[in-house]
Parts: sequence; structure tokens; C-alpha cells
Amino acid sequence: MQTLSTPDESLADRVLREVGFDQRLVGYRMRERTGPMPASLYSFEEVVHLLNDKLPFVDLRQLRQWVETVTEDAELATAVADAIREETNDRDRMLRIKTLMGERLCQCKKVVHS
Amino acid sequence: MNGYAGKILRINLTSRQTTTMPTSRYEEWVGGHGMGSAIFFDLVPLDRLRDKTIDGFDPANVVTMMTSPLSGTLVPAGAGRTEVQGIGVQSYPIGWFTRSNFGGRFSTMLKSAGWDGIVLEGKADRPVWLDIRDGQVEIRDCTPLSLWGQDTWQCQETIWKYVADGQDYGGWIDPGGEIDGQTTQRPAVVAIGPAGENLSRMACLIHDASNGSGQGGFGAVWGSKNLKAVSVIGTGTIDVNDPKALIEARLWQKKHYAFDLSRLKGQSVGTHFMSPPVGGQLWKGRPTERQRPQACVGCHSGCRARYESGLGNEASCYTTVFYANAKSLEIQRKASDLLNRYGLNAHEMTFVVFYIRDLAKRGILGPGKKIDCPFDLTTFGSLEFVQQLIKAIAYRNDGRGGKSQFGDDLAEGCMRAAKRWGRLEEDLRTGQLPFPHWGIPIHRDPRAQLEWGYGTILGDRDINEHDFDWLHWQPTNAKLSGRPMQIDAEEAIGIYTKKMVPFQDDPLMLDYGTENMYSEHIAKLVAWHRYYTRFWKQSALFCDWRWPDFINVHAPDNTGSTGEAEPKFLKAVTGKDFSFLDGIELGRRIWNLDHAIWTLQGRHRDMVHFAEFIYNQPMWGPTHCLPGRKDGKWVYFDTVGRKVDKQKFEEFKTAFYRLQGWDETTGYPNRNTLESMQLGYVADELEKNDTLGKG
Repeated sequence: MQTLSTPDESLADRVLREVGFDQRLVGYRMRERTGPMPASLYSFEEVVHLLNDKLPFVDLRQLRQWVETVTEDAELATAVADAIREETNDRDRMLRIKTLMGERLCQCKKVVHS
Repeated sequence: MNGYAGKILRINLTSRQTTTMPTSRYEEWVGGHGMGSAIFFDLVPLDRLRDKTIDGFDPANVVTMMTSPLSGTLVPAGAGRTEVQGIGVQSYPIGWFTRSNFGGRFSTMLKSAGWDGIVLEGKADRPVWLDIRDGQVEIRDCTPLSLWGQDTWQCQETIWKYVADGQDYGGWIDPGGEIDGQTTQRPAVVAIGPAGENLSRMACLIHDASNGSGQGGFGAVWGSKNLKAVSVIGTGTIDVNDPKALIEARLWQKKHYAFDLSRLKGQSVGTHFMSPPVGGQLWKGRPTERQRPQACVGCHSGCRARYESGLGNEASCYTTVFYANAKSLEIQRKASDLLNRYGLNAHEMTFVVFYIRDLAKRGILGPGKKIDCPFDLTTFGSLEFVQQLIKAIAYRNDGRGGKSQFGDDLAEGCMRAAKRWGRLEEDLRTGQLPFPHWGIPIHRDPRAQLEWGYGTILGDRDINEHDFDWLHWQPTNAKLSGRPMQIDAEEAIGIYTKKMVPFQDDPLMLDYGTENMYSEHIAKLVAWHRYYTRFWKQSALFCDWRWPDFINVHAPDNTGSTGEAEPKFLKAVTGKDFSFLDGIELGRRIWNLDHAIWTLQGRHRDMVHFAEFIYNQPMWGPTHCLPGRKDGKWVYFDTVGRKVDKQKFEEFKTAFYRLQGWDETTGYPNRNTLESMQLGYVADELEKNDTLGKG
């Protein structure tokens, strides 16, 4: 079910681009044995990729801000903020945000390839 | 000597002579690390340690591969490991005398062949491998089998076929040794890959598919000795003092403390005795193909897996974390196989990938950039990228057969590469190069998990000992998931403390709070951890993946078997009345011997400090909960955002040295401390070097 409105080409381009070092987001793959494994995330797709990990961690406030300021996706940023506020723990928040960002990624790929 | 084969094989690669030492000469150390340190101290030229003219690549470096009395027996998660020691080449700025151990079936086969350990000395004049068949030992040239240049898997397969002499798998072979026995097994082989041959400081030893002696750069040490592989096949037996008691102990341990697949109680991860099989896979996703658990000899709970496709077979821990940014799980599993085949340490290689990508994104590294890198960074995440990276490091070239300074730089490891690139100081200050201690990558943050970080900087390598992980992981996982805590902090502290003899009356040693993190209590925690692991894990060779058994949700009162189980198994095998506390005290003696060796190598109190980012950067990352006290009550609290205070860490060092009986000004061991542990001969050597403590 679509929860986000269809993006225009400009937003799709921003979502699908790679960003530079200063605009990267840092996430973690949580593992009991290794401890949290840091990962520099240089694109929206890499963030989605990380969120699909079996035990991901991203600072959600940073993520919301990143979506708002780097991707400039106000609608998604609001949806992420809603998820942070409404869910009761980080794991459920991340599951919901993963779905939202995955949906946005698919939409943008469709726009660019159409 | 029940549990022992009775002799140790001594190989001089320079003279190509093989001799034998009686194990009884070192029996006081029981096995593994204790024996290895004692042998190293006896055989390495101490004058060259003192004048600092020996390093890991020197032919005079002595490398030991030791088993324990428990190896090859039915002790659960305590029968499969081999301890490797010698002067390493990975740590920075000094290659410390160090250790690394690996699982599988090598130690069992070595004892079945009649040997408790192997001592490697000298340097062969051309590439060789060791062919051990029961008591018959040959130093063979690599040339007839074209072994030099093969990857670790090819090398092992070549040797298996050679020793089996044409027999198919499953068929009986007669190894031709002096016992005149037969076996359906194939030799246990430990080999180096191209990375070791080309002296990469990240090179490791590989046995079977993915048992790696990873830290220390022992692959390069072997490469420098022109030693490609050690193969052993044995047809003998291992004498056990009381087989009935051993089987009963195993059944007792399994019945009361092991996993039960019908009631896992949320133990989905693989760090404890109670953990179910296949917990060692940390891939980015779960392979969906058919698989089955794979275990070291004697283990009740194989932590690794073999897959229908064979991709990533037997990989675990960091080998399954490497290249998690791969575009697919299949590529990640292939990358893991490449690490094993070329023989590279997964821990540091994981950070190599992070570091070079970040440098590239900063515009510092790339084709024609300040750090001239021959890779196309836009292919990051692909199989081609990681193949080229691994080959570049293994062959010290561009990864495609052409010359490249970049590959040569990275083969030296991240620290030395960063130094060559002029980046070391800045990247350690910012944490861009997260290598907090001795040039080894971060594993558990010293700003949070104190016993790990402090134990590492007071030692020689990333300790990689997960003994207290439950205290971190259980509350962290509960907080992240919103699930209830299984055991509250006060109960957990009680269970742990009671087992930590002789410090069992001091629960404050498990208070990780900021107010307590530099205290004499934490000094006890770090000390106990060093003693426990030096003996029970690295000498008796209980596996780090399943021991100690502190908290166990299957057991009455949630209390695991540690303290009772370890000596029970040791007694069943050896017949010796050797208590848990005896093991802790012997661990202290071994720790002191190791510290004396580091002191001879140049260790001084002033060198014992973390990289700058640990002091000036708040701890990053996700929630990291640990126990501590708040308003007089035990709670779990989050350590994120904490730093280590440089001055207060000096106070901790003073408290630790005082507890050890070492000189508080220099960190040198005091004579009376060493003599109280029958190490007066070690004090004599330190005195000659003017590095004996003044206390």
C-alpha cells in the first residue's frame, strides 16, 4: 500500500545520488560478538540497505534530519518523525522507517527509469 | 601423565633438525599458553630481546603451537583449540610477544600423533612444509607439490591428496608413521596463503575452511621462516585418567547448562554455553539455503555452518562481518572465502574497507590523488572491488598483477599505511582510524567495556575475550527492543561476583559507572579477567565462544557452571586435584611471565595509553548498557557519550600496578612479586636489562 505521494524527478535524483563525506550518515550493524560495526552511509540506498540488516542501528534523530536536509524530502521526514514519536522502542521505529524508506527508494527508481 | 602425549616437537628450520622435548619439563604450566610462554622464554635469545634487535620477522623468533590436556577429549567446547605464540608483527609501534588461537581438529590430530605441541625456530633456506605422521617428521620442500603460491585451501587439498596417496575420501589410509596405525581421517593442515608468503602484517594461519589464527600476523611470521604449512596425521590415542568421570561430567554439563532446542529462552546469539548451534554467523542476512552446524572436536554446540552451496563454509565472527557493505549476501560470502583463501585477518580487513572508502570520499585517496590508489572506487560493494583489494594486499601490488605502492602500503596494516600517508596522527585524534590500542582496530570500546579496553592496552593485542558480554548485551538488547530484562542488574552482579575468586567479596569491581571506572575495584576486574583467560581459556584451552558459564538461564537460580565445571573436566582427564582458584593463580603467574617478556621488549608505563580519540571524543554509536550503581542501587545504564579521562586513567594504572606488585612508576615487575610465583629466574633477566622494578 502506498503511503507516500509519488516523487517528482528532482526528488528522485536527490534520493538516488551519492553524497560526500561531510553529508554521510553513520550507521551500525549490531552484533553480540563484534560489538557495533560502524558503517559510513553515502546514499539513501545504503541507508535502506543498512536498515534491512538483521540488527541495524541509526541515530533516528540524525536520520530524520538527514532526510530533511540532505535528501530534502519533507514528506518522508515528517513520516519518520511520526514513526519516532508513535513507536515505543527503537527496533519497532526502525522497522517502520525501513518500510517507509524502502517504499521511497522504489518510487524514485521507478520515476528515473520511466 | 594422563591427558598428555608426553613430548613436544622442536623444529629448527635453519638446520632442518627435529628434536624432542619431554612435556613433563613444562607440566607445571599445564598446557597451551602457559607452556608456550615458558618455552619461548627458555628458547628465545633473551639478549636480543633486551637489546631490541629481534622482531617477529627475525629467524630467531620462536613460534609455539601448543595443545592442552583437554585437547582431543570429550570436554564440551574445550577440546578443539590450538594456542599459537611468538613475537608478532601486527601490533604497533612494537610487535609484541603475542598469541592467537584457532579451533578445528588440529590439536586433536597433533596429540593423536603423539605430540603436545610444536616449537618452530630458525628460517628455512627455501619454502618448506612439515609432514608429521605419528612420530615420523619430515621437513619437505614445497617445490615438488608446487605449494608455495597456492592459496590456503588449495594447499590443504594438495597435502591431503599427497598424504592419502591416492585413497578416496572415507577410505583407510596408512600414514606410514612409527605407530603403524590406520585412519579414515585426512591430515589436519595449517597453512598460510599468498598474504603470508608476501609478509603482510595482517596475514594469518588458516586450518580447514575457516579456522584462523588471526591476530598477530603469524601468517607473515611463517612466511618469513619460509614455512608454508604444517600437516599432521595421527593414529594414536589420548589417555584419559577417568573416562567414566569425563563422560558423566559432559552429560551433567549438557543436561543442566546446554541449550535445549525446544526452549531456547531467547538465546538467539552465540556467546554462551547455553547458546544453540550456528550462532557464529553474523552475515548481513540469513542464508536461506540448506545448512548444518559445524563444530570443533568435542563441542556440543557447533557455532559455524556448512552450506549446500559451500559459500562461506565454517566462517564465523568477523569473517562473516567483513564487507557487510557488499551489494548482496552472496558477494559477502564470497568475500569471506577470499579472506580465508588468501589468508588475511578479517578483523583488521573489515576496518581497511571502512578506512579507504572514507579517505576516498574525502578526496584524499583515489587514482591520481594524494594517496594514489589503483581501484575504481565507484565499484565499491561489488565482488570485483573486494577481489582486487584482497589481492593487492596479499601480493603487495595493484591487485591485478601490476606494481603499486598502495598495495604495498596496505599490506603493512592500517597503522603503518596511515603513517606512510602522513595521516596517522590526525586520524587517530579524530577517530577516523578507530585503532585505540597497539595499532589494533576497535572491538569493544574502552570508554564502555572497561575490562576489554583496559585489558588490551595492558596486554599485547585485542583481547577478544567475551567473558563479561552478557552484562552488556542483555540490557542493551532489552533496551533497543523494548523487551523486559531477563535478569536484573543486582542479581547478575551477585552471580558474577560469587565466581570471581579470590575477589568474590568485592561486587564493586563490576560497577562500570563513570565514578568507579578508574578505581581499585576495576583494577580487580581487569586482573581477574587476565588471570582467568590466561589459564582456563588460553592454557587449558576452553573455548571463548562457550566459556565461562557465568549466567545460564537454563540452570537453577540462573547460575552457570563456571568454577565447578572447569576443574571437574581437568580432573577427569588428568587425575589432578587442581581447583578453580589454582587455575586463577596459575593464570596470574602466566600473566606475569608475559608482562616480563613485554618489559624485556621495551614496555614501560609511559607507553601504556590509548589513541587520542579515546580521550577527546565522546563514545559514538548505539546504546551500550552496562551495570553500575545509582543512588545506592544496581541498575543498567547507557555509556554512550563517555570519554576516558587521561589523568584519571593514569590513576587507574597506578592502582593496577599496585595490585599486581609491579613498580608504580615504571610498570616493571618487582623481584619479590616474581619470586613469590617462582619466577626468580625471570627477575634475574630483568635485572640484567635494568628493567626490574624498585619495589
